[in-house]
Amino acid sequence: MELPSDQLAVLEAASADERRTVDELSEVTGLATAAVTRAAFELEDAGLLTVTETTEESVSLTDEGRSYLDEGLPEHRLYRAAVEAGADEGGVSMGQVIGAADLDGEAVDIALSNFARKGYGEIDSGEISAEPGVDLDADPEATALETIDAGESVEDANVLDQLERRDLIERDERTVRSVELTDAGVTELMAGIEEAEEVDRLTPDLLTSGEWEDVTFAEYNVEADAEAIDGGKVHPLRSMAERVKEVLVGMGFEEMEGPHADAEFWINDALFMPQDHPARTHWDQFALDVPPMDDLPGGVRQDVERAHREGVGPDGEGYHSPWGEEMARQVDLRGHTTSLSARHLAGVAKGDLEPPQRFFSVEKAYRNDEIDATHLLEFFQIEGWVMAEDLSVRDLMGTFTEFYEQFGITDLEFKPTYNPYTEPSFELFGEHPVTGEVVEIGNSGIFRPEMLDPLGVDCDVMAWGLALERLMMLVTGAEDIRDVHGTLVDLDYLRTEEVRY
Amino acid sequence: MPTVDIAPDELRELTGHGEKSDDDLRDDLFELGLEYEGETDEGELRFEFEPDRLDRLSVEGVARSLRYQYGDDRGVYVPSTNDPDWTIRIEDVPDERPYVTGAVVRGLDLDEASLDSLIQLQEKLHATMGRKRAKGAIGVHDLTMLKGGEAADDGSGKSVRYTGIERDGDTFVPLEGDAEMTPGEVLAGHHIGEEYADLVAEYDRVPAIYDSIGLFSFPPVVNGRRTEVSTESRDLFIEMTGTDQWTIDHMLNVVCYALDARGGTIEEVRVEYENPPAEYGAELVRPDFTTKTKTVAHDRIERTLGIELADDDVIDLLERSGLDGESTGADGESAYNVTIPPYRVDVLHPVDVIDDVGRAYGFNELEPRYPEVGTIGGRHERARLAEAVRTALVGLGFQDLLNFHLTSEDELRERMRLDTDGDVLGASEPVSVTNPYSEDYTVVRTWLLPSIMQVLENNTHRRYPQDLAEVGFVAQRDDAETTGVAEAHHVAGALARHDVSYEDAKARLQVLVDDFDAELATPPTEHPSFIDGRVATVEIDGDAVGVIGELHPAVLVEHDLELPVVAFEFDLERLE
Repeated sequence: MELPSDQLAVLEAASADERRTVDELSEVTGLATAAVTRAAFELEDAGLLTVTETTEESVSLTDEGRSYLDEGLPEHRLYRAAVEAGADEGGVSMGQVIGAADLDGEAVDIALSNFARKGYGEIDSGEISAEPGVDLDADPEATALETIDAGESVEDANVLDQLERRDLIERDERTVRSVELTDAGVTELMAGIEEAEEVDRLTPDLLTSGEWEDVTFAEYNVEADAEAIDGGKVHPLRSMAERVKEVLVGMGFEEMEGPHADAEFWINDALFMPQDHPARTHWDQFALDVPPMDDLPGGVRQDVERAHREGVGPDGEGYHSPWGEEMARQVDLRGHTTSLSARHLAGVAKGDLEPPQRFFSVEKAYRNDEIDATHLLEFFQIEGWVMAEDLSVRDLMGTFTEFYEQFGITDLEFKPTYNPYTEPSFELFGEHPVTGEVVEIGNSGIFRPEMLDPLGVDCDVMAWGLALERLMMLVTGAEDIRDVHGTLVDLDYLRTEEVRY
Repeated sequence: MPTVDIAPDELRELTGHGEKSDDDLRDDLFELGLEYEGETDEGELRFEFEPDRLDRLSVEGVARSLRYQYGDDRGVYVPSTNDPDWTIRIEDVPDERPYVTGAVVRGLDLDEASLDSLIQLQEKLHATMGRKRAKGAIGVHDLTMLKGGEAADDGSGKSVRYTGIERDGDTFVPLEGDAEMTPGEVLAGHHIGEEYADLVAEYDRVPAIYDSIGLFSFPPVVNGRRTEVSTESRDLFIEMTGTDQWTIDHMLNVVCYALDARGGTIEEVRVEYENPPAEYGAELVRPDFTTKTKTVAHDRIERTLGIELADDDVIDLLERSGLDGESTGADGESAYNVTIPPYRVDVLHPVDVIDDVGRAYGFNELEPRYPEVGTIGGRHERARLAEAVRTALVGLGFQDLLNFHLTSEDELRERMRLDTDGDVLGASEPVSVTNPYSEDYTVVRTWLLPSIMQVLENNTHRRYPQDLAEVGFVAQRDDAETTGVAEAHHVAGALARHDVSYEDAKARLQVLVDDFDAELATPPTEHPSFIDGRVATVEIDGDAVGVIGELHPAVLVEHDLELPVVAFEFDLERLE
């Protein structure tokens, strides 16, 4: 019969009365272990040899285990120091013995607990007493560490378990394959086997010489696992942002950009947020250590102040709160990207805007909030608004129904709520695409006249916002935003997270 | 958001709906916008609600809203008041806290529950409208324990005096105290005094209220023990001091409405100013239950709600909201004079009335419709560029990262071996946060590589090679900018591999720059984060815009890395 060269080499190296491991065969034949394994399985399929798999345990010392080879186990050191201090004749102060044993930090706890476990003595009310005459050299744990270090195996499973619990050793299992010739294999070898003309790799030579026409190609195990590689991927939160942007552009929205660091005037005052609003007087926002912003646009600034003090329109009434320019000039990291909407509506971003308009952004906002599974100091806010001559609550509902349907969130409910710069205002609730729960998915409303009038807008503007992270957690089922966004991210998550589109 | 704790039995009694189960009440309150949060230790139901309807800070106000919702009450209700017997004289008060208001409530029969409710209402009003007592503070006293001084020249009526005294100017026994103390001693040694000491820290003299017996209240800090209210109290004297007359008057209205619901009779109090506040006369009579009127156009209601309504419907909806409406003009083209009761502190504009109409109608009854407004969507150019660069980097095998903008100087500088203020990338002055959340987030990052190094540091247990990139935001101090902050976007990539060298980074940077049809040059430079002789300036079209090189071993060791890293970073805009 004919066999490919690898298989022939393996067959010839195998024995009928002794199992040989793949490693041994690899050494004899000079073939890589993967090639030997492949050949062995093919020969097994042909009935020429048998492949046996056994599991072999290997034991190795951890860094901590290795360090005790020289220093001795902490409980040994403690015992020796205790005996030296006379603790075998009565209690001695524990601090003194620990100091003499040169133990500190975690090692103290390790020493004390194992000292007690091994019955080397007793610890009571800060005093240590030692059993006289303990033979430390007979401690199987110490002996086992040396045995393992010498590359030999330890038979006592209890000792190994104990060492593993102490994190002094690591145990690994590996599969060892070995082969043995079958009768058929012996018969064929006796009859003589010829090497088949087979090639492994298709080379440029084979192609240009035309030799490829005369060869057979070695069969590969096409089912075998390949070596793992990692391609580049877009960050899951970023791809979610791109998806949201695509939906909004499709709905006719244009993207806004603007400063992350901005005057409170644009972040709060222009949004009719009273200066003594709790969110402004407390530590919810990040103030920056920079000089106050000088160039507030004069006309808008005056009109904003008037809206705060007196309200807008004949029946308007402002807040009964103080208003000072000093606070308006303070520069903060924006607490929401509604500051961009204010800049656009006021005409300082892209010039005066005539209705109709739709604008959006999916950009960072900053909140000085507790960090937990659903809150970070920075998050991406989806912000969108529509400007038109006449807009009703029904238009707002229709727009958001359309938007959320793109993400599988349906059956929207609009819960009336309060927001300083919109009226009416709604919290949006929708049905979770997977769990079916009703969940909060955003905040929306029609901008108040006290906001729009000072910015020079005399038509209707409706707006909404939500955190991109929230939408992503709903859509992907991610449970802890700290695993997704930021430097604590696990590369394994980024590499294996399902690609969404 | 504010919360209110409600005993369901109280709510059943005050609404007159004994048949409602706790679950019914929870559902009805959800309709009003009060969300059930859970049960308190005392077995009351806690609800969270939006901070506009501060008249719902106690069970009495919530019951009133429910009665409107159930249709038991309609239109504006104003309690009747008796003429004043008591006067508050204002003499020589601290400039920082000039305003006062007050009322007398008689004939109460307080039990533990209604007393608790009154105390809760005070606390909640302090926390919200009162801005933690800075803007308005409430004192409620047992009237029978007060001895009024002379009020009028003709000898009728009684008075108390609101004034300012030195910190050691007088003594009284404060609530929860058992010895005479001066205001100064209260601030230094009484637990309530310590809690509110900041409020008067800057005051020259402290506020004080006297009757003819002596000092009985030290607003906004603590009342005296002599006038403490108990379930035995029948008649109450209420005073409020603050920095804004409107605010304390409206806090008073909310309290008076609640006590009216408990069967008390409201009696007016005269407030006599030595130096009357602007907009107000020298003598005020409080509480001020004057209603206000807003004019709301019919078509504005229809436009905002997107539906057609008959005039009668609008008036019906107003009355169901506890407002009154009077139509002017023809059906369909009319406007309404809407009367707003004095406990409503949230109605600043006619749009707030429209919101009430919508709530009474039921917003969820409205049919959504997609607005017939044509606009053209599009992306911002800078965002498109960032996206294209990110795509190119991913094509080169980089894992895209998304790191925080906030970090620490330690990460930006020390850990990157950037010990000088030199002109190198990353070494510019960062923008600091004045009130950081923690020492890990004190500045905005000036460059991206420190973030990437942190990700490498946190992933040493993961498979290599680790090729990481980020296109992201950076900022630095710059007084030439109006905000004092120069903002930019950088592109950074790093290759962490056992066998990596400078050329691997250069090769990828070259592809990236070529992709955007620009010219790359890499003249040698020095940068402390990189190995000397293996670091270059990134020059794009002749301008120095970044750095490329092999990270310095000290930086690698600092980040627990045991293999070489090469990296580049430059200004995104230069690829435009």
